[in-house]
Amino acid sequence: MSGASSRSLGKGSSPPGPVPEGLIRVYSMRFCPFAQRALMVLKAKGIRHEIVNINLKNKPEWFLKKNPTGLVPVLEDSKGRLISESVIICEYLDEAYPDKKLFPDDPYEKARQKMTLESFSKVPLLVTRFVRGKKEDHPALKEELTKEFYKLEEAMTKYKKDFRVGDAVSMTDYLMWPWFQWLEALELKECVAHTPKLKGWMAAMQKDPTVSSHLIDAKTYRGFVNLYLQDSPEACDYGL
Amino acid sequence: MSGTSSRSLGKGSSPPGPVPEGLIRVYSMRFCPFAQRALMVLKAKGIRHEIVNINLKNKPEWFLKKNPTGLVPVLEDSKGRLISESVIICEYLDEAYPDKKLFPDDPYEKARQKMTLESFSKVPPLVTRFIRGNKEDRSALKEELRKEFYKLEEALTDCQSEFRIGDAVSMTDYLMWPWFQRLEALELNECVAHTPKLKGWMAAMQKDPTVSSHLIDAKTYRGFVNLYLQDNPEACDYGL
Repeated sequence: MSGASSRSLGKGSSPPGPVPEGLIRVYSMRFCPFAQRALMVLKAKGIRHEIVNINLKNKPEWFLKKNPTGLVPVLEDSKGRLISESVIICEYLDEAYPDKKLFPDDPYEKARQKMTLESFSKVPLLVTRFVRGKKEDHPALKEELTKEFYKLEEAMTKYKKDFRVGDAVSMTDYLMWPWFQWLEALELKECVAHTPKLKGWMAAMQKDPTVSSHLIDAKTYRGFVNLYLQDSPEACDYGL
Repeated sequence: MSGTSSRSLGKGSSPPGPVPEGLIRVYSMRFCPFAQRALMVLKAKGIRHEIVNINLKNKPEWFLKKNPTGLVPVLEDSKGRLISESVIICEYLDEAYPDKKLFPDDPYEKARQKMTLESFSKVPPLVTRFIRGNKEDRSALKEELRKEFYKLEEALTDCQSEFRIGDAVSMTDYLMWPWFQRLEALELNECVAHTPKLKGWMAAMQKDPTVSSHLIDAKTYRGFVNLYLQDNPEACDYGL
């Protein structure tokens, strides 16, 4: 009952037992971009982990005890310690597993990566509004998204170091990636039409082994979105 | 033209020169809670710094070149490197000046502090809405604030080690403090009436030397708020 492609656990399911020593567990959902952040960081850093998918449309009571907000991702270790919030989880992993650091060692360079993530911060909200919005709302949202991408393009131009094609993929790259991965499936690619650095970055990211192991095809993603918007308890397992 | 109690610089002012070696500069505003975070961390860690107050109702063009959002705080070092966003600044300072760490060394304890800050995150926007709201909005907002404080009280109950009276003040304490400092002046003390742990924490914080050096009396603060709501360019220098 565990692994990236396992069926989600819903109401009435038995809670999974304690996390075995030497392993870390992520409560996740196959299509959740926030959970994908944690999964990519675990993979990029080579951290042994197990995945328990949660049915976010039919949440198990035992999961709400682990995280009252009911959101994924949640990290659990063999001591039963829990961490929630995707950025907090990813920063924790980079510190607790100091081999293969994803953040730069230099405090200023690290701060610059965090500022770049700040320039990105409106994107997840806009994409959610787009997914949930009506057709009439779409042009205005596409316009807002394009504006945010211009801002990010400027941030990348200023902080070239983080985004040179060919440079090692770093923390902020992984933290931003899941939303860029979905642009094609959501027919939002036009929003990056005039931001060449961003497009170059996306192309480079798709070559990264961690990123390419997490790709889900557009058709499956759209099938999920369709069911999710209808609050179907089958949404989270679509495609299995 | 520098220091906690210096007049703010506005449109048409000359930009301050480069930051002298061995010093770090904060662009601030005497009443800004976000800037206060940075000032308290600098003080608590004993970092030599200079303060340049910005007239947020009449921003200098040279400041908008340093931070296009026009917000304070902004950190500048003697190499001319700039960092914006209060949490990013405070985390940077804790890493760049590793004596007297404000975050715990243990990655899990550090993650827990960040999760506590996350439980606090709705408070700043609520306080802003309260200040800007009319009488009818205010009772609803007080209720929302009370709810957020209950949530925080629960987080304190879970993470007892951070908030035991007498323990060293840590990063999250400083990051949350500025809004609690303003409760009395805004007549919002009733919102903590039923959260004894939070009240105990507030009392302990008021004894911390860094906190007590940053107190502003209620009358001065209210004078500022009054002028600020009117977009008065004298607001930021009220009381000088």
